[in-house]
Amino acid sequence: MARINPEKCVGCKICMTYCTVDAIHAGDDKKCFIDQDECVECYVCLRQKVCPQGAIEISPLDNFYKEFKHMMSDPVENHPVTGVTGRGTEEVKTNDVTGRVKRGMVGFSVDMGRPGLGVYLRDAEKVAMAMCQAGFIIAPSEQSPLSGLMPDRSTGKLQAECLDYHLLSVIIEGHCPESNLQNVLAALQKVEKEIDTVFSLGLILRVDETGHNDILQCLDNLNIPQPHRGKVNVGLGRPLAVD
Amino acid sequence: MTHSLHRSGDIESQKHDFVWFMYQTKGVNDVGIKPKALEFIAAAEAVGSENWGDVKTGPVTRFTSQEIKDKLSDKSRLRGVFTRTEQMVEFLRRIKGKDTGMSVVITGILDEVLPACKEAGVTPHSINYSLGVWGRKDKLPDDTTLSITTMCGHHMIPPKFVSHIMRQVETGKMTPEQGALRLSDFCYCGIFNHVRCADIIRTQVEMKRE
Repeated sequence: MARINPEKCVGCKICMTYCTVDAIHAGDDKKCFIDQDECVECYVCLRQKVCPQGAIEISPLDNFYKEFKHMMSDPVENHPVTGVTGRGTEEVKTNDVTGRVKRGMVGFSVDMGRPGLGVYLRDAEKVAMAMCQAGFIIAPSEQSPLSGLMPDRSTGKLQAECLDYHLLSVIIEGHCPESNLQNVLAALQKVEKEIDTVFSLGLILRVDETGHNDILQCLDNLNIPQPHRGKVNVGLGRPLAVD
Repeated sequence: MTHSLHRSGDIESQKHDFVWFMYQTKGVNDVGIKPKALEFIAAAEAVGSENWGDVKTGPVTRFTSQEIKDKLSDKSRLRGVFTRTEQMVEFLRRIKGKDTGMSVVITGILDEVLPACKEAGVTPHSINYSLGVWGRKDKLPDDTTLSITTMCGHHMIPPKFVSHIMRQVETGKMTPEQGALRLSDFCYCGIFNHVRCADIIRTQVEMKRE
């Protein structure tokens, strides 16, 4: 857990410029402190060695949820279950080998808190539950770290103890049949108005050899602009998954 | 970890920004990857990848190529950036020719990436499409700041530090290139496009001066 030692802080405020989520503040005594509710444990302030007095110190994370938020917020960490760095998800990266998203399916990566605002898990829960009610299937915990906090992932509901933890970002990952894409997107259009943060949305699809999939035409029905950016798996992984 | 997908900013600027990745699959081809990783690094260096690195060590803007190569392990995750489609095409050709069996991903503007795949002779398998940002967009920083911070998709670049660098350049204490390299220090992965970032800083500072 990152904290500022008040005995060492001289109130220069340099560290405030280096916080990814604006969690470092100056108190009435002019000394800086880290708001522990807002801090996402990304450790940028530590790694950049910003404090000339060495006042930013680290102490052990004293519960599972703090460890989880550090793991999700610090890309250098490997997630212990998925074995992947960052938020510990695979999405399209190795889909040519894993075949996780098959033809006729739509994978979702709902990047909660991105770009840069961070997310309280209570907002991640709202979005996950709205998607599940629309027929979305959340990925199992061995594929997606957030699922590990869901007692019953068919509902998207999270453990009550974790809801007030603030993370730099976390991904809601899973899939639905192509036939249900429009329903899930409509649910996202509704729930985006009910949260206090942002999310970046990715849709993962198998494509034809020219890199297209006609299902994206349904975006027009919901007034969602056609995507101009994409993360293209070019099919060189082996052994190649069979649909 | 969709940390390259949701970059923002002017489309013309994004046409000079492509991210490449090498991925091993857990339990399938994730053991003894170093020789394959070295092939990727060789291809990236041959085509002049402007920045690249291993998330476990850091980017070439902070460490030497040899340091990154020496520290390669089965947990390594290699990635980097190109500023020109020609680099992307040649990189894909070289990697296809090496037949490493590792998954390869390219992120960027689809109107640029898909024709490049065709020219290189590789066939898109699946795509993660960006549908942009949803929710409380009113709480986000300004578009210029976002076009820089989103180049580190893990969001290790604090928006206030971007403002600090802008002021340093405005007051002549740094060049746009120096400012961009300082910002690239925050991105451990090596996918920060410091060439594009310098252009964004330069344009912004010139606009303020006019």
